[in-house]
Amino acid sequence: MVTVLAHPSLAENRRALRAYVGMVVFLGAWGMTFASLFFSYAVIRVESATWPPDGAAPLPLALPALNTVLLGLSSFTMHRCLSSLRAGRPGLRWLFWTIALGAGFLALQLVVWKALHDRGLRADSGQYGSIFYTLTIFHALHVACGLIALLAIAPRVARGRFASGNTTAVRTCGMFWHFVDAVWVVTFVTVYLL
Amino acid sequence: MNESHGLAHDEHDPIHPAPTGFLRKYVFSEDHKVIAKQFIWLGLSFLLVGGTMAMMIRWQLANPGVPFPLIGRVVFSKSGGLISPAAYTSLFTMHGTIMIFWAITPIMIGGFGNFCIPLLIGARDMVFPKLNMFSFWMMFLATVILVVSFFVPMGAGAAGWTAYPTISTQMGTPGWGQTLWVVAIYFAGGSSIMGAVNYITTVIVLRAPGMGYFKMPLTVWGLWLTAILNALFIPVLAAGMLLLFLDRTFGTHFFVNGMAIKGGGDPILYQHLFWIFGHPEVYILILPVWGVVSDLTSFFARKPAFGYRVTALAMVAVCVLSAVVYGHHMYATGMSPLLGQGFMVLTMIISVPATVLFFNWLATLWRGKLQLKVPMLFTLGVVFVFGLGGLTGLYLADIPQDLYLHDTYFVVGHFHLTMAAAVFLGSFASIYFWFPKMFGRQMNPLLGKLHFVFSFIPLNLVFCGMLEVGFGGMQRRLYDPNVYGTFKHLLPVNRFISYSAFTLFFGQLFFVVNFFHSVFAGKRAEQNPWGVGTLEWANTTSPPPHHNYDVVPQVVNGPHEFNHPDVKDKDWLGQAEPLPDGADEKAASE
Repeated sequence: MVTVLAHPSLAENRRALRAYVGMVVFLGAWGMTFASLFFSYAVIRVESATWPPDGAAPLPLALPALNTVLLGLSSFTMHRCLSSLRAGRPGLRWLFWTIALGAGFLALQLVVWKALHDRGLRADSGQYGSIFYTLTIFHALHVACGLIALLAIAPRVARGRFASGNTTAVRTCGMFWHFVDAVWVVTFVTVYLL
Repeated sequence: MNESHGLAHDEHDPIHPAPTGFLRKYVFSEDHKVIAKQFIWLGLSFLLVGGTMAMMIRWQLANPGVPFPLIGRVVFSKSGGLISPAAYTSLFTMHGTIMIFWAITPIMIGGFGNFCIPLLIGARDMVFPKLNMFSFWMMFLATVILVVSFFVPMGAGAAGWTAYPTISTQMGTPGWGQTLWVVAIYFAGGSSIMGAVNYITTVIVLRAPGMGYFKMPLTVWGLWLTAILNALFIPVLAAGMLLLFLDRTFGTHFFVNGMAIKGGGDPILYQHLFWIFGHPEVYILILPVWGVVSDLTSFFARKPAFGYRVTALAMVAVCVLSAVVYGHHMYATGMSPLLGQGFMVLTMIISVPATVLFFNWLATLWRGKLQLKVPMLFTLGVVFVFGLGGLTGLYLADIPQDLYLHDTYFVVGHFHLTMAAAVFLGSFASIYFWFPKMFGRQMNPLLGKLHFVFSFIPLNLVFCGMLEVGFGGMQRRLYDPNVYGTFKHLLPVNRFISYSAFTLFFGQLFFVVNFFHSVFAGKRAEQNPWGVGTLEWANTTSPPPHHNYDVVPQVVNGPHEFNHPDVKDKDWLGQAEPLPDGADEKAASE
């Protein structure tokens, strides 16, 4: 809260505070959707006799791990973008890397889905495939939404609109981006690692 | 907390400029007062639709096999006015769906949430006015989808408002009707989440200077807590609907019974998701009414609300507990007895804060100077039916009794008394109370009183009758109970319920006439016709200007300052009105 209020003008303070509180509430709500999906995953897994079910294609580990690194890096670059803008430096380079890493994540996800699909794991082949594809695709749609948001603010970052300390929009998009990354870490740990 | 107050407003800074064009002013409006009215019109229209469906259900239970009179030939044209079993299933499904998501939610949460929150906390609008507008239009989209679902082949959704699989999968309800139902609920939920984010944030950041959390009217407390529950639990419903949608359209196997299709599937998983949402949902619906009733009992008893803080905290306690009791909807699913006992104890604990609320209302009324004006009559009605409904909840919380009462009309009577009757009367209390502020006109009190009599008495006859047939063992959702020998003797009671229900339905004509007449030709309302001290009455005109308050008030008092010993000329004290001769603020807190 303290850093939110450390903006130069009062009007900007107010805007930042509103956006911050609103986004926290929104992400709290949205987190519940993912929590429900993880709850469903847990119920399905607990009730299954074996996990993964007999005959199901084993999940790859290398590419999802690489994806975790990509998204982790993208959270870092997003953070650097915001701190650069706050310090009055241009942040476009960092924003570009964030978008590139996010796009790379989606591309690798496509590769993973394609490979699993070819090995016979289908969304309609049973609960295992259903929950796997639902969780990962639902998450990937959020990454895509995050990318759209970042692309939408990119022109304004390029034109230096946010250089004056008026970084609310970038911060808000960044919050969503970090949220999506955090959800991925939980997904990676529960679906691929455990 | 105090610091943010100073930041909340610029003195002459409306959140958005007043619109000029017709479209921006009345249709795509960002003004919370206009959006509130849009929600209320939507909600009242669907209250009529849902109410008509209830009449059809009651007609079938009173006169099975007799064509529905008047509109029957049009609505059920294929069967010559006769309500077929399939139509009946669809009717009770859509009755529940419409009443919950398209009547109560738009009126109390969309309508009065929008109208009251900014006005009662001294804000100029919601914090995100555009989001607010999108919230209404997403609801509108959901409404269109819902209406379309009635006209697709094989008809509207027919899996009950709970939409349990496997009935709600393609096996039980093939066709587009049920799929569109799922989509409509998904969008309606999206609308609620948008509203909730707005309401929560508005209360946190836009309270007028001096308006601490414990100076907010209890109405705002109720609406705010509702918004918090909405934000937390509608997403769970959304997840359930998403999975159900995928099961129906993409052939996934979340819920489809493992016996029928290879690869398994667990219908109970849906019940978990649904009731994790569904139990908080009943509090989502009732909390605004609790808030309104807590305020109105004080306003019309002309004395401060008894235990203001305790009332607020009891509502918080109910919210917290509501998240951990959902299992009581699933006693009959074969859950572990240990788990069942846990849920039973937690459920019964809810009655503690609920009783605190109830007795606070009674204590507020105790030795007050009761003014039996129309909003107060409806408020007292809520107190009565909620007390009755709450008591019946204790029977259902108890596993041994629930196993007998499960899925009978006793359950139907119970949730109608608490959720339907209480919220119905509470909605009308709110409408009668805030109507002058909303439209700048007065409603006719005589018609209002007739409306109360013809609502309150039949309402109780209907739902107490349901308790009785339920205790007699009659299951809910039966197309024609008379085909079972055991239920034949209940037909006279069922007839009695139905005729009471018809009286209730036609009693609403008093309201319809009164409402339309008053909106267009009612007597001009004064600024503060009820003589209460909350900001919307004491500090702004009826109806308020576009930016609500010319000067954002500096709040010094609580919302229920009546018959204060230091105030001589009138029996109320405004929230932004300092005591005469500088009497200190301390006396104001309770």
